[in-house]
Formats: sequence, C-alpha cells, structure tokens
Amino acid sequence: MTDLPAPLDPADDQTGAPYGRHAGQPLLPAVTDSPAPTPMTVTEYPVSFTGRADEYFRIWIVNVALTIVTLGIYLPWARVRTRQYFYGHAWVDGQNFEYRANPVALLRGYVIVGGLFLGYSLATQFQKYWIAVPLLLIYVGLYPWLVRQSLRFQAANTVHRGLRFGFMGSLRDSYVAYGAANILGSIGGIFALPWAWFMQRRYQLNHLEYGTARGKFRGDVAPFYVIALTAVGVGVGLGIVLLIPLAAVLFGSMNWNPDTFGDGDPTTLIVLFAVAYVAFILLYTVLWQYARAAIMAYVLNHGELGGVIRTRATFRPWTLVWIGVTNTLATVFTLGLATPWAAIRRTKYVLEGIQVRAIAPLDDFAAGASQQPSALGEAATELLDIQVGF
Amino acid sequence: MTLPGGPVAGVYFDGRSSRDHPATVTLTEQGVTLNVPELGSPRMWPLAEVTVDPAVPGVRRVVKFRDGGRYETADDAAISAWERQVGLNRALTGVRWLESRWAAALGALVLAVAAVAAFVVFGLPVLARQAAAVTPRSVLATFDRETLKVLNTGEYVGPTKLSAARQAQLQAEFRDVAAWAGGGYPYTLLLRDGEPAGTDSGGIGANAFALPGGTVVMTDQIVALASNDRELMGVLAHETGHVTHRHGLAGVYQGLGLTLVSTVITGDLVSATTFAAAVPAALLRGGYSRADETQADEVAGRFMLERYHTTRPLQDILARLEKELGDGKDSRASVFDLLRSHPGTPQRIEHLRAIERAALP
Repeated sequence: MTDLPAPLDPADDQTGAPYGRHAGQPLLPAVTDSPAPTPMTVTEYPVSFTGRADEYFRIWIVNVALTIVTLGIYLPWARVRTRQYFYGHAWVDGQNFEYRANPVALLRGYVIVGGLFLGYSLATQFQKYWIAVPLLLIYVGLYPWLVRQSLRFQAANTVHRGLRFGFMGSLRDSYVAYGAANILGSIGGIFALPWAWFMQRRYQLNHLEYGTARGKFRGDVAPFYVIALTAVGVGVGLGIVLLIPLAAVLFGSMNWNPDTFGDGDPTTLIVLFAVAYVAFILLYTVLWQYARAAIMAYVLNHGELGGVIRTRATFRPWTLVWIGVTNTLATVFTLGLATPWAAIRRTKYVLEGIQVRAIAPLDDFAAGASQQPSALGEAATELLDIQVGF
Repeated sequence: MTLPGGPVAGVYFDGRSSRDHPATVTLTEQGVTLNVPELGSPRMWPLAEVTVDPAVPGVRRVVKFRDGGRYETADDAAISAWERQVGLNRALTGVRWLESRWAAALGALVLAVAAVAAFVVFGLPVLARQAAAVTPRSVLATFDRETLKVLNTGEYVGPTKLSAARQAQLQAEFRDVAAWAGGGYPYTLLLRDGEPAGTDSGGIGANAFALPGGTVVMTDQIVALASNDRELMGVLAHETGHVTHRHGLAGVYQGLGLTLVSTVITGDLVSATTFAAAVPAALLRGGYSRADETQADEVAGRFMLERYHTTRPLQDILARLEKELGDGKDSRASVFDLLRSHPGTPQRIEHLRAIERAALP
C-alpha cells in the first residue's frame, strides 16, 4: 500500500502489516460467497486511535463557548467537528476515516425536532393533552423511520479510503426491528428484550454497505440472553451487597422507636436517601454499560464485510465498564471538565481493542450507489437521546 | 515537506475504488494541479471545482474534486498557507486558530462559565417572568384545578372546623383584600384544616399559600395562631402578591429552563452527571423564591400601610409562625438550611419595618 511521506504520528505505522502492494496475494473479487478456508492468507490490521485529550479539550471548550455565544446555532458545527476529530484519528491500514455531514442540514433538523420537543414539554407542563398525546403518538409511530434515517445518515457520511459506507435497510424491516421488537421487549422484559437487541444488531449489520460490499451478522440470539442474564445476576448480587449496610444504618438511626419514624432525624434520612439514589444510579450505569459493551464485543466478533473482511474485538467488557464508571465519576467531580479526557480514553480503549482481518487487500473495494439521506432522523436521535449505534 | 508553491506530497483516491495512489498537488491562486503518476498526466482543477475540508487538529487535510476524487495530505502547513492565500474556509480557520491555543481555550472556558452563570442568575428569571406574564388565564385556571384535585385527596388538608359565622367573616374580609389586589383574577379563599386526622403526612399545619389562578388556601391552624384579623389580612395580601406577580408560574418556567440548561451542558437527560447538575439547580431555585417572597412582602406591606398605617401585624404573625415551627422541630443548623426556599424570618420582619419607616414622613 502507499503510505504518506510523513506519517502524522508513529501510531499510524503501528499496523505492522506488510507494506507494499500486498505482495504475493492474489487480488480477489470484492464479494465472495464464503470466506475460503485455510490456504488463504489472513492479514490482520489493528485499528489505532491517535486522538489526544489535551488537543480534544481545546476543541471541546471552543465548541462549548461558541455554541453558547451563538445561542446554539453553532451546535451542528460543533457536533460535526467533534465527529471529524474522532473519525479522523481512527486509522486502519494507514488510512483514516472521515465524517462528512453537512452542518446546515443538521441545523435544519435540530430546529424542527427541537421545536416539536419544546412544544411537547410545554403541552405536558400545562396539561394540554390534546397537543401532547398526538405529538407523542406521532413520535412513537415514526420512531422506526427515524432510526432508519439516522442509520442511513450516519453510514452515508462515513468515508474510508475515499469510499462511503451506506445503509440499505428497508422501512419494513425497521418497523420489525425497532417497532415490533421494542414493543415485545417492553412487554416481555428479560424474556424478549435480548431478542429485540439481536434483531436490531442484525438489522444494522446486514444492511450495512461499504462501496458495493455488503455487511453480514453471523451471530445468534442465544448469546444475547447470556449477556442479559449475566447483567441481571450481577445486578441482584450487587444490589443485596449495597442494601445490607444501608438497611443497617436506617434501623440504627430509628433509635429503636418506630413511633418517631416520621419525624426522627431528618438529616440522616435525607443523606441515606441520597446515598441510596447514587448507589442505584451507579448500579444501573454498571449493568447498562456491561450489556452494551458485551453486545458490542459479540457483534464485532461476528461481523463480516463483503465476505472477505471480519472484525474481531479484544477489548474486555468489564474493563470497559470500569472505564465508564471512573469516567462518570471524573466528569462529575471536575464539574464536566473531564468530559473530553473521558471521551478520548474510552474511544482509545475500544478502538485499539478492535482488529480487522482480511483475506483480500483493503484497497480492492468498489464504490456503490451513492445516497443522500436527510438529516432529520440524525437530528432526532441526537436530540432525543436515542441509542442506535453500538 | 514542501517549499511554498512546490508540489505537496499526498495520496489520491478516485472515489470509485478504495485503492490509494501516491499523488502530488501544486497549489496556485487559480486552482489545484493534481498529479497522479499511476493514472496518467496531471490535471488542473479550477478553484470553483475544488472544496477543501476545514482543518481538524491532527487530521490529514482533504481536497475534494468535483468528479468525486479526493487528495489527502499530512502537510497541513502547505494547505493552510494556500487556504489563507485564496481565502477559503475563513470562519472555520478562525475556529482552528482558537483551538490551537491554550490561552484561547482558557478564555473560552471563562466565557462559557460566565455566560451560563449570567443566563441562569439574570436571564432565566427575566425570561420566566415574561413567559409567565403572557401565559393565558385558561392555563392558570388549569393549574389551580389540578392542584386542588391533589389537595382534595385529604392527605394534606381536611374540611375546615371553623364555625360558619367565622368563615363568612373571613370571606368578607378577604373580598376586601382581593378587591385591593385587583388584576382581574377570580380570587377564591379556601379555608381548610391543616392537620387532618388519620393521615401519614401529618398535614401542612399553620400555613397559607396561593395557586397561580388566584385560589388562596389558608388553614385553621394559622387562623388560630393569629391574635387578630389584621394579621391574617396581611398574610392574605402577601399571597395575592404571589398571584399578581405570577410567581408560581414563573417558578415552573424556571424549573423547565434549569432542566434545559443542565441537559444542554451535560448532553443527556437521565444520568449521574445530570443528577450532579441538579444540586446547584435546586440551590438556585431556592434563591429565586427568596426574591419572590420579598416581592410579595412588599405587596403586603403596601396593603398594610394603606389600611392600617403600620406593617406591625404582619411582623407579629411572622414572628409567631417562626416560633411555632422552631418549637416542634429540631432547630440545629444544618447544610439543608441552604436549601430552604424562604428568606429568614428575621430578615423579612426587618424588611417590613423598613417599608414602614420609608412610608413615614
């Protein structure tokens, strides 16, 4: 492969991959049906991330200040710049990614979604349910469409080696994966939720495209149940461990006189409730982060592109949980100033725990049909805090 | 690297395949000459058919051509110099300049903190008051209706135990206060028992409060506490002050605004960081209502001076309320005093005295 005359950072060259145009390897067609077995040479390309906390801190704080000074109008530019920084510092095989969304399109989406959201908040505040309920129903009804728009927008604006990604999932499949599956998941809880996660990841991966190459999810539904059961088990265990000392302090503060419970020592009670609340939030964060990290690892270990590329994750879900919890604490105790450091730390750990394994050269993909989806879905998922990626 | 005007080394992608080709560009005021040896002779692109992505720190610079091709280089200096020369990406080059300096970052930090603080302390109350002032009456009435539904569950108040004659007397006196307060609100006085038997909450005790639409609730306990009706009328005038200045509604808007601000700053709706942001928000809310109490006291002070030529009765009942609250409960000072929404009673009494002194010749 051709590298640049002056690498930006030694990390660019950490690949250790054989340089030169993949000597000795036959150029395969981009799409083959099954990854051929043994005789093929598998080349492993680690993903590297060269973002730095000090550099990103300055970008972040300038973004914050400009967003405030422009009364929020700069927000889309800030978001795009942040993504450009993170994508631009993610390298595979000596080439970095690019994020190329148009901030003006995002701004339009933000204004529409922000206006509707404000209308909804005000309507519920004033009990004008004839406005609030239809808005909510429209949102619920459009949710799968919004998710599909967002996935299309994110994919189409991601570029590697001059080729765009694409997302070709149908609207019908989105209503199955994000409509029906979510409804069943909310009714069935632990019995149906892992299945919903499975459906959603499969939908995301099976319709992903890089040029003309199609993504494929080789995973199964059972491991999603294992992940959910692990999270619940750990939750119950930690919950009991946390509850015992809390209960002990509570009974201790009652002075063995149940009559004075209501107006005993209010300070102790309030502190106790605050501790219980923080403990609950931490527990919730831990479990949720574990589930997300474990799912991400599983999906990456079972992802395939064009039949010639597979991804592999070597990051450990529990380490990621530890990073998540310490990141949250650092952010809280620095009053938000550690946000950029936390984002870089997490991204570096995740990305550098991903490998791309290919049996064909990475420079042998061809462009697919180009698409230009609207930014409305992206704006909605961003503003309404919907988690669609992984 | 390169000399100014000389060829800049980089890599070229044609946009149709993922293959990378070594390439150079020569940058002039007229445009870009792209030379990709593997693909044949150099090609000249005029400025109008070229876009250059704004610089992002540490990321390769990208020049995009109209046919979908792209050229990438690590030589930021050469591209930036050319950008300045031909005047591309002016605004975001300024942003890049800010981002590359620690002094600018520090300035941005100070600016951000100051802007947020100024908005929350000065801007938000003004905005909330404006919004409250233009909110239609029908909305106020909805508030009263919904709050009364909660009150009527019997958990906090019960039916009044005052005699019919006493009730009629208080209602008549309240009509006088309401007429004085004006503003066209449908004022109603609700007399209730503040310590209903058989509930867990123990009721609201000696208390009086106003709902946004003009409904004023007063408990039997505060009636019993007063040594004359002038004191009660002072309390009721204070409550009409909350109504005419629309404090209740402004408080709702302030709460909404604070939630919005902390969501924007922390970037999410429900998490530990939002929870941490809620503590200063609660403190601020206390500060807002302190200002409201002072304003309502001023209304009550005006009423007292007009009717009785003294604010003394209101001072007396405030002092007695303070004593009553202090008796039953633990009076140790604690950090939770900071969270108290009302100004300290001594300050309020002193304020009423000052109003009286100012009115005297």
